[in-house]
Amino acid sequence: MIGLGDLRQPGTGLFKHREWRGINDTLYDYWRWLINWKDLNVFIAKAPVKTIKSIFRYRWMTSYLATHAFIDRSTSGLRGTSLRVAHLHYNMIVKHLTYLLHVSFTEDSKVVLLDELIPPQIIGGFPNLIPVPAQAAPIFVASMVDQQLPPHYIDVIEYYGVPSDVCPLPACEAGIAIEDDYPKIGKCMITTNMPCDGSIMTSAYQDRRFQLPTFPLNIPLRYDEDWTEDFTIKELEDCIAFIEEHTGEKFDLDAFKETCESYNQQTKYELEKWEINKTKYPQVTGANIWLYRLYYFQGAAGTDKRFIEVDKKVSKLIARAYQNKEKNTKDLRYRAVIWSCPANYYTDFPLWLENCWGISGLIDMETVSSTEIIDTSSKKSMLAGLAKTYQRATMRKHTNGGYKHALDELWEKVEEFNVDLVVMYDQISCKAMDGLHAIFEEQAKDRDIKMIWVEQDLMDYRTTSRQAMRDQVNKYMFTVMQATPLDESLLEFDDSNSW
Amino acid sequence: MKDLKHIHYFESLLQEANNELVKEAVNKGGIPLGYTCYFVPEILLNVGKAFSVRLRAPNTGSLDLSTYYLTNFLCGYSKAILERGIEGGYNFLGALIGSETCAEMNRAIEHFELLNLIKNENFFVAILDAPIKISQHGIEYYSKQLRRKLLKPLNENYGIDTSDTAIRKAVEMHNEISLIMNHISEFRKEDNPKITGTEFHILCLIVSSCPKELIIDKLRETLEEIKVREKDEDYKYRARVAIVGSEIDDYKFTELVEVSGALVVVDRYCFGSFPGMELIELRDGEDIVETIVRHYFETSQCPRFMSKDKVEGRREYVQQLVKEFNADGVIYQALKFCEFWGYEKPLASHVLTNEYNIPTVTIDKNYTLDSAGQIRTRLQAFVESLEIKRINKS
Repeated sequence: MIGLGDLRQPGTGLFKHREWRGINDTLYDYWRWLINWKDLNVFIAKAPVKTIKSIFRYRWMTSYLATHAFIDRSTSGLRGTSLRVAHLHYNMIVKHLTYLLHVSFTEDSKVVLLDELIPPQIIGGFPNLIPVPAQAAPIFVASMVDQQLPPHYIDVIEYYGVPSDVCPLPACEAGIAIEDDYPKIGKCMITTNMPCDGSIMTSAYQDRRFQLPTFPLNIPLRYDEDWTEDFTIKELEDCIAFIEEHTGEKFDLDAFKETCESYNQQTKYELEKWEINKTKYPQVTGANIWLYRLYYFQGAAGTDKRFIEVDKKVSKLIARAYQNKEKNTKDLRYRAVIWSCPANYYTDFPLWLENCWGISGLIDMETVSSTEIIDTSSKKSMLAGLAKTYQRATMRKHTNGGYKHALDELWEKVEEFNVDLVVMYDQISCKAMDGLHAIFEEQAKDRDIKMIWVEQDLMDYRTTSRQAMRDQVNKYMFTVMQATPLDESLLEFDDSNSW
Repeated sequence: MKDLKHIHYFESLLQEANNELVKEAVNKGGIPLGYTCYFVPEILLNVGKAFSVRLRAPNTGSLDLSTYYLTNFLCGYSKAILERGIEGGYNFLGALIGSETCAEMNRAIEHFELLNLIKNENFFVAILDAPIKISQHGIEYYSKQLRRKLLKPLNENYGIDTSDTAIRKAVEMHNEISLIMNHISEFRKEDNPKITGTEFHILCLIVSSCPKELIIDKLRETLEEIKVREKDEDYKYRARVAIVGSEIDDYKFTELVEVSGALVVVDRYCFGSFPGMELIELRDGEDIVETIVRHYFETSQCPRFMSKDKVEGRREYVQQLVKEFNADGVIYQALKFCEFWGYEKPLASHVLTNEYNIPTVTIDKNYTLDSAGQIRTRLQAFVESLEIKRINKS
C-alpha cells in the first residue's frame, strides 16, 4: 500500500502529486486549494506594484510563495471533518495575514505597531487604527511556512555578536532589525516584556530600526498574585493615553466593548473544541488546533469578525462529527498532551504524529493560553479582564511566573483529557523550560506517565532537523511502547531541503 | 605597593558563603538572608537582626547535579548556586529572596522550594516580580510585594523588627558603608592609583557577602590605610580599563585583567560598586519602602529595563564613568548563557565603539574561570591595541 511518505520527493520532501483522499475529500481539498490561490491573487491585485516590489525588498516575502506547500503539508492525511476544519482555519489565516501584509505596504498612517506577543484587543478601542504585530509577518509566520528562512537572520545576529545559545525567535527578530528588513511603518509602537527575557532584549535592537515613539507595556509575571491586577490596569490606561497622544485618536469604549465581546465569543468556541477533545471522539487535534488558536489569539483577538464566521462553521461541523462518532484521524491509538514550545520549522509535526503513529495531540501548551471571559459591563471590568488575558497570553502563561504554571498545569491537562502519553518539546534554547527539565521527568515518573522528549531548536532546523525530531519519537515508540507504526513510509523521509 | 593590612583576611572570607563573620553573626542571633540580584533591595534584608548575604559559590567544582536539573543551557552562576544549595552550602540561610529578573536564576531559586533543600521550618523562599520601567504604580506594586513577601514573613517567622525605624537604621548603615567605599573609589581616579582594581573588587565582594556591622570597622581602617599608602612609583600599567557586564563575584577575573597589563579603574557589573554604593536620602512623609524601591530602580543599570531612557541611559552611564575615571577602554563581559547580557553586550559595544568612540572588547566567560587562558589572550590583544592608540595619539 502506498503511504503518505511515498508521496514525497526524495531530498525536498515535497509532494509528487496531490493526495488522493476519495472523491469528496479530494475535490474539497482541491477547491480549497483554488480558494487560497484566489485570496493570494486578490491580495496582489489590490496593490500589485507595492506587493511585487516587496518581494524584492524583503527576503521574508519570498517565503510566502510557499504558502500552498505549507497548507498541503498541514492537511496531509486528513479526511472528512478534520480536513474541512483545517482548511477553514488555514484559509482564515491566509486572509488575515494577506490583510496585514497589504496594510504594511499601504497604510502607514493608520498603523500602531505591536510586539507580536501583545494580543490586539486594546487597539479595538481605536476603530480608526490598525494593529499590526510587528514581527508576525516578517518572521513568526514566515518561519512556519519556510524553514529555510530563519537561519539567515540567525546568522546575521550571531555575526553581530549575539551568542548562539539565546532563543532563536528573538534572535531572528533582532537579526531582521540589523538587516533592515522590517517595513518601517506606524505612528507609534507598543513593546512588551512578554513572553520572556529574549523578547525584552530584542526590543532594543528593533527600536533602533523603527525609531518610533515606544511604550513598553509591562505585564506582570506572577499573575496568581491578586495585586497584579491593579498594576496591569494602570499600565493599560497609560498605554491607551500614549496611543491617544501619538495618533490623535480617542479611545472609543463602545468599539472596545465590541472587540471584547467578539473575542469572548471566540473563546467560547475554543472551549467547545476542548470539551469535545476530552471525549472519546476528539475532532480538532494536532496542528489543526494549535496553529489557528495561536494565530487568532495573538493576531486578531476580536479585531476581525471574519474569524467568528469561521468559528461558527467549525462549531457546527465538529458538533455534527461528534454526534456521528466520526474519527479525527485514521486510527487514534494514543491520546496525548503536547507540551512546551513547538518548533516553528515543523508546525505539522503533530500531524505527523497522528499519521505515522496514531498519536493525537488533544491539547497543547500554545493552545492553553488565556480563557478569561472579559466582563464587558464597564470600562474598569473590561480592562481588568484584558489585564488577566494579557498575563495569560501565549507562552507567557506557562514559561514565567512560577514553576506551577508550566508543571502543575500539564498534570491537570493530563487528567482532564485522559491521555496516554505526553509529547514534550525540548526547545533547547528556552531557558525557562530548560530550567524545569529534570523536574518534569521526575514528576512524570512518579505519576507513571509516559513522556516522549523531542529536542528541537524552535527556528533553526540546522540544530535538530525535522527527521531528527521524528527519529526521537520513532525510537521511543519502537523501544519503550513496543508499537508498530500506522504508516511505515513516514518513519524516515528527507525533507531537509524543503520549505 | 605594600599589601593592605586586611586584604588577606578579606580574601579568606571570600572562600565560602558561610564565612567566619556570617557564622559569628548567626551565633549572636542574626538571621542570614540570601539573595542574588540587585533588584532585591539589600537594605531591606538588613533590618533588625536580619542581615544580607549576596550569594556566591566560591571554589565551585562539579556542576553535575545542577546540570541535571537545569540542563547545560543555563548560566553557570544559576547552576553554581543550585549546586551549592544541593550540597548543603546554604543551610545556614533563614530565607532566600529572589527576583524573577531572569528566568535562569528564577528557576535555580525555585528549586530550593521544589527540592526542599533547606531543612528549617521557618525558612522561606520569596520571589519578586520587578517592573521593566520606572513608574509610580510600578514602585507601589514592587513595594507591596516587598512588604507582603519579605517584611511580613520576616516578622512572622523570625520576629524580626521590620518597622520604619529598623529600616531607617539599615539605611544609615548602608550610607555609612557607601561613604567609605565611595571615598576609596575616588583613589581610582588618580594617575597612579593607591588601590588596584583587584583590591577594590575584593572590598566590594566583602561588603555584599558579610554582615555589615562586623565588617565596617575594618573597612574604615582600610580607608585610613589607603589615604597614607605609599604609591609604587615604578608601577606601570599599559592601559586603564572599565569592566562592564553581568555578574562577577570572583575577584580573580579582575586579577586576570590586571595580569594582562591593564589597570581596572572602574566597574559596572553585578557585585560591583556602580551601582550599589549610592547614598539614599530619606525624607519625612514619604513611604520608606517606596523611597528605597525608587532608589534601586533609578540606580539599576540592568539590561532588563526596557524604557528608552534606561536603554540609552545605560550606555551614557558607561560613557560617563569612562570619562570620570579616565579609562582608555571598556571590557564588556557576560556570563555564558546569560540571555540579557548576550544581547546587551554586542549592541552596547557597537554603540560605544562607533558612536562614542570608546574602544571596547567583548568577552564571554564561564562562572568559573576555566577558560582563563583564552580570555587572557584576548585581553592582552585589547590592552596592546589601547596602548598603540595611546602612543599614536601622543
